[in-house]
Amino acid sequence: MTGFMLNTDATTLSPIALFLQADWVVKTVMIGLMLASVATWAVILGFLFKLGSTRRQITRFERDFWKAEDIDAFHRVESENTLPIARVFTAGVAEWRRSTAGGHVDREGTRERLATAMGSAVASEIDTLSDRLNILATVGAVAPFVGLFGTVWGIMRSFTGIAAAQNTSLAVVAPGIAEALFATALGLFAAIPAVIAYNRFSHSINRIEARLNRFADAFHATLSRQLEVEVRR
Amino acid sequence: MTQRDGLGLGLAVVGHVAVFALLSLAWTSAPPPPPQNKPIEVSLADDVALDQHAPAAPEPPAQSAAPEAGPPDDAPPPAKVAKVTPEPAPPKPQPEAAPPPKPAPKPVPAPKKPVAEKPDKPVKTKTPPAKAAAPAAKTEAKATVAKAAGTNPKSTKPRPTGSLLDDDFRKGLTQAPSHAKVSQAAPGATMDAKATADIGSAIQRQVQPCANRQVIPGPGAAKIVAYVRLQLNRDGSLAARPTILPSHRGVDDDNRIYVDAVDRAAIATFTGCAPLRGLPPELYDVPRGWKVFILTYHMPG
Repeated sequence: MTGFMLNTDATTLSPIALFLQADWVVKTVMIGLMLASVATWAVILGFLFKLGSTRRQITRFERDFWKAEDIDAFHRVESENTLPIARVFTAGVAEWRRSTAGGHVDREGTRERLATAMGSAVASEIDTLSDRLNILATVGAVAPFVGLFGTVWGIMRSFTGIAAAQNTSLAVVAPGIAEALFATALGLFAAIPAVIAYNRFSHSINRIEARLNRFADAFHATLSRQLEVEVRR
Repeated sequence: MTQRDGLGLGLAVVGHVAVFALLSLAWTSAPPPPPQNKPIEVSLADDVALDQHAPAAPEPPAQSAAPEAGPPDDAPPPAKVAKVTPEPAPPKPQPEAAPPPKPAPKPVPAPKKPVAEKPDKPVKTKTPPAKAAAPAAKTEAKATVAKAAGTNPKSTKPRPTGSLLDDDFRKGLTQAPSHAKVSQAAPGATMDAKATADIGSAIQRQVQPCANRQVIPGPGAAKIVAYVRLQLNRDGSLAARPTILPSHRGVDDDNRIYVDAVDRAAIATFTGCAPLRGLPPELYDVPRGWKVFILTYHMPG
């Protein structure tokens, strides 16, 4: 079988052949789109790994937290944890300690500060989590246009080729148009996974954010009750 | 960049390389079409010959007068018998062996008579079969005796071989033409209207593939008729680029813009399918020969 050879024939759909016969502008577009596709998939794979493990660890952390008898002891164990939910918990505990350190405790002010501190911790963690999601958004929105630009350029070049050869037969036009259309194909190749992944990961991050907010609210309620108990004493 | 991001990037790069390598390998593309049979060149020439094409014999073959069927070896030829015996004896020694020679030699009138007479009265010769055999045997005996003696003037005649071919058959080989109808054209190559048409159709047949390849530039272009002037070498190749005579037919206001395109298509047609094969070499350099040949060209459709 002669199959294991690189196809550089223009009559096949070999990407190598289509790339090699293209104009340099179209080549640049193709290279850029390939890099965009690689970056897209790198981000996608990174998100898949990160979000899966993050969800599992958040579940475990919540279970451990609600089982814990002593919050201070639990905080000593988990203070170095880098999980988003652990950061929210650490921020709440830190603010609690700062607010109740003095003799007089303003309950309303302490509650507000606790809510603000944990809310900002949630926002910060979501920001960190959704880093590089903008890459997916950008690629999904722009890659088709970039590919279209390459195609338009390649077809313009084909038509100037017709004008130069003064020959309108399809054999003169067809290879140029095929290689030009390959740019659009590459753009769609990069954009489609990017758009799908962007929607899916946005949804996942929204759920994580809602989960962190629920945890922050519950912890805030716990601290608020504790505040009343401690101040009454 | 964390370790997970690095892993994702590595996997992405590897995956892209793998996908494009697979797409670039031949086995993912469609299997090549089965090899087509070598096209056989079929000549659908109606008539590309000249009026006098082959080195034909200037005259038709002379007729052959020799009879073909003969009696068995021992039987003497009847013609000889007729000659030896002046009287119109029945020349058929063995009527049952050989039928009367119907394809009688025409230019030998002498033996024709007895042959012609014979079928007229077959009843009379009903008795002579035995009698006829006897003179034949007698004649043969006489001949052998004469040969043995060597004095008989008839001994100069060759010994009967049993064939009906005797000296007289040479008389059939005359120089006179037979009465078959032959062309009265003079031998040699002349460029007449038929030869011109034949050469034209031969050229047209050979350039037809190239003509079919031309793309009609626009509506009405097929109405334009261009005159193409070919200058040819003796081997059929183009001695110069074909030129288009400035006069065209069928040009109107609608298709005037396509004249140049038609001219280019005409030139491309003849340059693309040159050299031309099978043109009669005798007519190359004669007056109005195909050294310079003017054809009309119009696009199909």
